[in-house]
Amino acid sequence: MGVLDYFKAVPTMTAEEVRRFLTEKHPDEYNLIDVRQPREYERDHIPGANLIPMSELKDRLSEIDPEKPTIAY
Amino acid sequence: MEGGIRAWKGMVAYGPPEAGMAYFSPAANAEEIVGLAWSLEEGSKLFYQGVAEHFNADKEAREMFNWLVSAEKGHEKHLLETYEGLSGNPPDFEKLRSKFSDSLGGSVMEGGIPVKEALEWIKGKGVSESLELAIAMEINAYDLYIRMSRTIEDKQAQQIFKKLSAEEQVHLEKLASLLDKRV
Repeated sequence: MGVLDYFKAVPTMTAEEVRRFLTEKHPDEYNLIDVRQPREYERDHIPGANLIPMSELKDRLSEIDPEKPTIAY
Repeated sequence: MEGGIRAWKGMVAYGPPEAGMAYFSPAANAEEIVGLAWSLEEGSKLFYQGVAEHFNADKEAREMFNWLVSAEKGHEKHLLETYEGLSGNPPDFEKLRSKFSDSLGGSVMEGGIPVKEALEWIKGKGVSESLELAIAMEINAYDLYIRMSRTIEDKQAQQIFKKLSAEEQVHLEKLASLLDKRV
């Protein structure tokens, strides 16, 4: 990965777009990642979200299917 | 997602990642999972029956909760059909009943809530609050089924959880529209 990769734009979706996306798709068709802390996840999370705290992301990349779109929050 | 969870106006589940999974962890195969899921659906059905009786004087509420009873019956039927479609045989209910009767057997509903406690809680509560409890319960079941479909190794069991989560999603949309009508 080159230094320019750090400046790549990451497409974002609004909460409403995500809601529509999740309603239309089957959970099999996307990765939905909650990157907050476990206690935050415990308090509330989007149904079906996989908890991968930011600090663990680098070591747990294998849990994210690169073939599918990924939504993180 | 822009704005993170604070921007999210949709439904939320609660509990740690392993929440509810304990019910299913002893279930190593699809047949046992069907037995457990059936028990939870049975618990939900008993809960909705109790709520329908509780709001007997309110025609709209009674019909709404009776619809939920029939929806749970539909879930149970689909669960069996999915299992039979996958394995070619009906599950051995005698065996499952003796294995899980102590822990479940309709006493616990989806989301892991004891039916008795939930029915006790709705006494003195309104229809909207009871619907909110139902939605909270179904959201957690939906959340659990998605997580289980990803973590369980048995391929048939994976299919069953996928089917269950898809059904919960439809069920939730209906519940949410009912709640919108009432508030």
